Amino acid sequence: MKQAEVLAKLQEVFDGIFLEKVVAKPDLSAADVEEWDSLMQISLVIAVEQKFRVRFRVGEVETARNLGEFADLIAKRIEP
Amino acid sequence: MFFLSTLRKKAKLHTTESVQPRLRLALIGGYNLYPLHELVEHLLAIRGIESERFLGEYDNFVSEILDGSSPLYAFKPDLAFILPNARHCRFSGSLLDAVERQREAAVGAAEHLLNLAQTFIERSGAAVILANLALPDDLDLGSFRSRTLGADWSFRKAINLELGLRAPAEVQICDVEFLSARRGIAAAEDARSWYESKQPGSPDFLVDVAQELSHLVASRKQGPKKVLVLDLDHTLWGGVIAEDGIEGIELGDSSPRGEAFKAFQKYLLALSERGVLLAVCSKNDHARAIEVFEKHPEMVLRLEHFAAFKANWDPKSDNLQRIADELRVGVDSFIFADDNPAEIEIVRQFQPQVEGVLLGPDPAEFIDRLQAGRYFEPRNVTEEDLERTAQYRQERRRTEFAASVTDMPAYLASLEMRGTIKEFDPLDLPRIAQLIARSNQFNLTTVRRSETEIRGLLKRPDYLCFTMRIEDRFGDSGLISVVIAKIEGSVFVLDTWLMSCRVLKRQVEDEIMNEIFRLAEVAGCAKVRGIYLPTAKNGIVAGIYEEFGFVRTEDSAARKEFELEVGKYQMRSTKIRVTRRAYEAG
Repeated sequence: MKQAEVLAKLQEVFDGIFLEKVVAKPDLSAADVEEWDSLMQISLVIAVEQKFRVRFRVGEVETARNLGEFADLIAKRIEP
Repeated sequence: MFFLSTLRKKAKLHTTESVQPRLRLALIGGYNLYPLHELVEHLLAIRGIESERFLGEYDNFVSEILDGSSPLYAFKPDLAFILPNARHCRFSGSLLDAVERQREAAVGAAEHLLNLAQTFIERSGAAVILANLALPDDLDLGSFRSRTLGADWSFRKAINLELGLRAPAEVQICDVEFLSARRGIAAAEDARSWYESKQPGSPDFLVDVAQELSHLVASRKQGPKKVLVLDLDHTLWGGVIAEDGIEGIELGDSSPRGEAFKAFQKYLLALSERGVLLAVCSKNDHARAIEVFEKHPEMVLRLEHFAAFKANWDPKSDNLQRIADELRVGVDSFIFADDNPAEIEIVRQFQPQVEGVLLGPDPAEFIDRLQAGRYFEPRNVTEEDLERTAQYRQERRRTEFAASVTDMPAYLASLEMRGTIKEFDPLDLPRIAQLIARSNQFNLTTVRRSETEIRGLLKRPDYLCFTMRIEDRFGDSGLISVVIAKIEGSVFVLDTWLMSCRVLKRQVEDEIMNEIFRLAEVAGCAKVRGIYLPTAKNGIVAGIYEEFGFVRTEDSAARKEFELEVGKYQMRSTKIRVTRRAYEAG
C-alpha cells in the first residue's frame, strides 16, 4: 500500500477519534494536536491496528517521528 | 468498538455544576497510572462525582506512604486507590519448599500491603481502596502450578485470599483478580504496553479497573438499594396465571424455561436472605396470584419472603407508592423489575426515582440483567442484613397484633420491649457505618461518615456516641438508632441522631432523649442543642425537638437549631425496659 493510500484511511480513523478536525498529512506529529496525548495515543494505536488488521511490535510505534513515518510503518506491517 | 477517548465526549455531556465538594482522590501503585487516572476521572464524572486527582510516581507507592512528608500527604486525599504491581509479588524460594513456608510468605506479602494501607489511613485519615493482584496467563509449569503455592499463579491467588480475609473493615478491596478473570486473563494482560509504558494491562482492562473503581467510589456515598419490586407473570414464572392457570404456568425442573424461572427465584431468595426486601407489584387477580405461592410445588419463593404484596389492577406507579408507605422506605431505594417495557416506561414517567430493570424475554438472562446495575452490592454484610426480612415479617405481626388491641399504652406494654443502650463498640462499627450511610428519613442532620471517620470519633474525649438496640416478644430489631454528640463547653450538641423507621412510635425516641439528657448531665453540660438540617426526605423529624420542649434558636432554610436546659427536661416514662446504658459496663 502506498503512503498516500494509508494516509487516506488514517483520515477516516482520525475523524472517528479526534473531537476536532485533524488532517492526516505526512509532517503531522502529536505535538501539533492539542488533544493528542497518551490516552489518545492508546486509542489511536488500537484503532489503527483494527482498521489495517496489523499488529505493531514492542517499541515500534514510538520510533515514528511523524505521521508519514507512521504510515510507512503501517505499510511495512501490512506487507507479509 | 470502544475507544478510551470516547469517554471524554461522554464525560463532557455529563459535566454539571456540582455543589458537592470535589473528591480528592490519590492513585498510587506499582504501575504507570497514566492514563488510568484520566479514565477514572471521566467515569466518576459520568456518575456525578467531580474529582481532584493525585498521581503517584511509577512504582513509588511504598515510599510515598512511609514518608510522612511525601507529596501524597501534602495533597490531603479523601481516598487513595493503591494498585500494587502483581509482577513483583513472587515467591522467592523454591517450587518444592514446604507448603507451610510458601503460605507464610503469602501471608507476609498480604500483611505488608495491609500494613501500608493502615499506615496511610492513620497518617492521612483518608479511606483506602486496595487492589489485589491479577493472575498471570502463563501456560508454563502446566498442571503442576496448582500443586504448589510457589508458582506465580498459586502464590498470587494465596496472597489475594489472605488480603481479602485479613483486610480490616476500613480497607476496601478492589478485586482486580476477579476483573481480569471475568475479561479473560489473556485479554487483560498486555505485554507490549507493559514494556512500552508500564501499563497495568490492556486498554480494555484499564477500562475494567476504572469502571470498578468508580463504582466502588460512588457506592461509598450512595448505599445499595433496599427494595426489589417484582412483577409476576413472565417474571417469576412463564405464562399468565389468569389465563394458563396454576397447572399451565412454566416453572420448575420439567422444562428448560421452567428451570430458568426457578433459578431466578432461587437468586431472589438469596438476595432476600442478604437483606434485600422483596415485594410483588403485579397487574393480576389477587386470589389467583396468592394461590401460586401457596400451592405450586416448584415455587421457591413463598409469601413469607415478601415484605409487601400488591396484585391488583391499579397502576403500578400507585402500588409502588403504597409499598413505600407500608415499608417506610423511600421510592428512591426501589428497583422495579418487569419483563414488559411498557410497564417500565410508565413507572419511569410516574415514579422517576424508581430505577427500572427490563428483564426481557429470556428468563436465562434475568439474573445477569438484574446484576448488571449492581444495585444490591453491600459494602459489608452485617448481621442485621441477614435478619432484615424476618424483621419486616415481625413488623407485620406487630401491626396485626396492634389492630387487635385498641389501647396504645396497653399495646406497647404487651410488646415486652427490652432496650440496650451502649457507647460505640468497635464490633458495631460496620452496622453503625451502614446506618449512617443509609438512613434518610429519621435522620436529623444526614451527616455521612466513613468507617474511618467513625473510628476516629472513638478516640475523641469531646464526643459521646451511643447506639440503641431493641427487642420484644416478636423478635430482635437489632441496632436501630445512633447518636453522636459533641461537648462544646457547657453545650451538649447533637451532631447526629438517626433511627430506623421500623421502630417509630414505639417510644424508642423517648428513651433516646432520656439518655441524651442523662449523658449531658453526667458530662456537666448546662443545655442540649439539637440541630435539624432539612432534606427532601427527613420531613418526619422536622418538629421532633419542639415536641420534646426544645426552643428554636436558629431558623434558616438550611439549618434549624433548638435548645433546652438540662434542668428543664422531664424524663419520659416508657414501656421499654432499658437493661444497659451508655458508658456503663454491663
